[in-house]
Amino acid sequence: MSKSEMVIEGERYKSSDRVRADRTDMLYKDIPEGETLVEIKDLNVVYRSDDKTTVAVDDLSFDIKKGELVSIVGPSGCGKSTILRCISGLLQPTSGEIRIGGNLCTTAGSDRGMVFQDFALFPWRSVRQNVEFGLEIAGVPKEERRERSDRYLKAMGLLDFADSRIHELSGGMKQRVGIARAMIMHPAVILMDEPFGALDAQTRNILQESLVKVLKNSSRTIVFVTHSVDEALFLSDRVLVLSKRPATVHTIVNVPGDRPRDRGSPEFIKLRKEILSYLESQNTM
Amino acid sequence: MAKFTYDENNRTHRFLRSAVIIVLSLTAFVILWWVVTLIMNNVNFPTPDKVFEALAQLIQYGDRIGGHSLWEYIGTSLQTFLQGFLLALLVAVPLGLLLGYVKPLREFTAPWIEIVRPIAPIAWAPIFIITFGSSVGSTLVVFIGIFFPLLTNIIFGVQRIDKNWLDAAKTLGASQGQIFYKIVLPATVPYTLNGIKVGLGVGWMCIVAAEMYKRTGGIGQFLVDVVNNGQMANAFAILIIIAVLGLLTTGVAEYLSKIVSRRMGMDA
Repeated sequence: MSKSEMVIEGERYKSSDRVRADRTDMLYKDIPEGETLVEIKDLNVVYRSDDKTTVAVDDLSFDIKKGELVSIVGPSGCGKSTILRCISGLLQPTSGEIRIGGNLCTTAGSDRGMVFQDFALFPWRSVRQNVEFGLEIAGVPKEERRERSDRYLKAMGLLDFADSRIHELSGGMKQRVGIARAMIMHPAVILMDEPFGALDAQTRNILQESLVKVLKNSSRTIVFVTHSVDEALFLSDRVLVLSKRPATVHTIVNVPGDRPRDRGSPEFIKLRKEILSYLESQNTM
Repeated sequence: MAKFTYDENNRTHRFLRSAVIIVLSLTAFVILWWVVTLIMNNVNFPTPDKVFEALAQLIQYGDRIGGHSLWEYIGTSLQTFLQGFLLALLVAVPLGLLLGYVKPLREFTAPWIEIVRPIAPIAWAPIFIITFGSSVGSTLVVFIGIFFPLLTNIIFGVQRIDKNWLDAAKTLGASQGQIFYKIVLPATVPYTLNGIKVGLGVGWMCIVAAEMYKRTGGIGQFLVDVVNNGQMANAFAILIIIAVLGLLTTGVAEYLSKIVSRRMGMDA
């Protein structure tokens, strides 16, 4: 393994080792914003148990463009999270391909960062140590780790809690750590699996606004799974509306307007109504 | 005069409360003990005053017949105990992590563990001591006593690792080896400490029993000697010493495990 390193924006990037790299987004720096970065092609997920087979995802294809935030919404149990886990490489699809910048993804790696619904923070580490975990794994030296974690702790409003233990934090604070931990790695794409699903409505709104603010300063490619249509419309450039299981793409909604959006605008309300009425029609219960 | 009201949220109050309870409880225990021995009126069951007098004598003069100080006996026992404990730690920690981590291996060895575990550790004493001599033999008895609680706790700890932690580590680029060192190892620490806590209690019972079986120069041997000499007050004094030492060892382990669990925000 060659140790060729280049310095981009003051941050070290190992071009030689894709999996250990702490700036995998730089692998795709030549792809312009708005062009296709991630391709999901003919994704199929079939679960087999003793007496029956369940098709969770059926021939699903869609693209994710660089620098955009795509939300995936759909009726409950339609396989939204399954799709995200396939993209992350944590779950092997029955068939189909995930490509980033044309490269086939097979196993999990730091080029696809993940934010989990139940945070998945490491309780034996402090807030800062959680945020720095990926950098530590990538072998980033201590001083640089600290400098970089300072920046993300500050961006997420966590600087005063840097030395706190995870169990001392509120749910909202925990997910701020989760987001900082994923973003600090500059992955090619960040996957968020109902990240605000475990939070109360008020905290949820505050975190949505925090995310919008962070994205203003640092362009990221994000796939965001949520069951809240309101949240999807508030955050996303595009909303992928899925059918009931097996999941197929029903429509892709281009959300107009720059962030932060006005949840009370007639356009916003109209779109929400349309999507919600479709989702209701898909609820078979 | 100011009226004292107990405040549940006051640290000092809580401490005083438990201190008062302990003192009252121990006093009641001694009184009960006294009453029982008076009723029994048996020469083999001396009254507490005689036992405490014997205890003071033992601490001051040691074993006047054998010509050893009390600390020699205690030192020998503690040394055997410590050796057995370190040996158990050395074997059980890597083995527990391995068995917890590798499912086929765990499934394959589970019957072995389940067969050997229910055997009382002291049942090994005659075999170990005749094979390896009294010193190594009793160390091995302590080892067996500590090994199983430690091993099963560590295996349990590895299995209790949150799958989300592993997923998170993978998406942050961790290799299998890094997952082991940075997730599995720290995540099992509270369980290891819990195993140590349980193991030390069992191990301390083992050492005394093993020493009674064969002469090792430890506190268990001293106990047998004084009973054989009919010094029953001394025998009970030695029981008190054994109890206090056992309490100290498990107390230290319990304190450590509590602190670590709290610091890590985890319960084992």
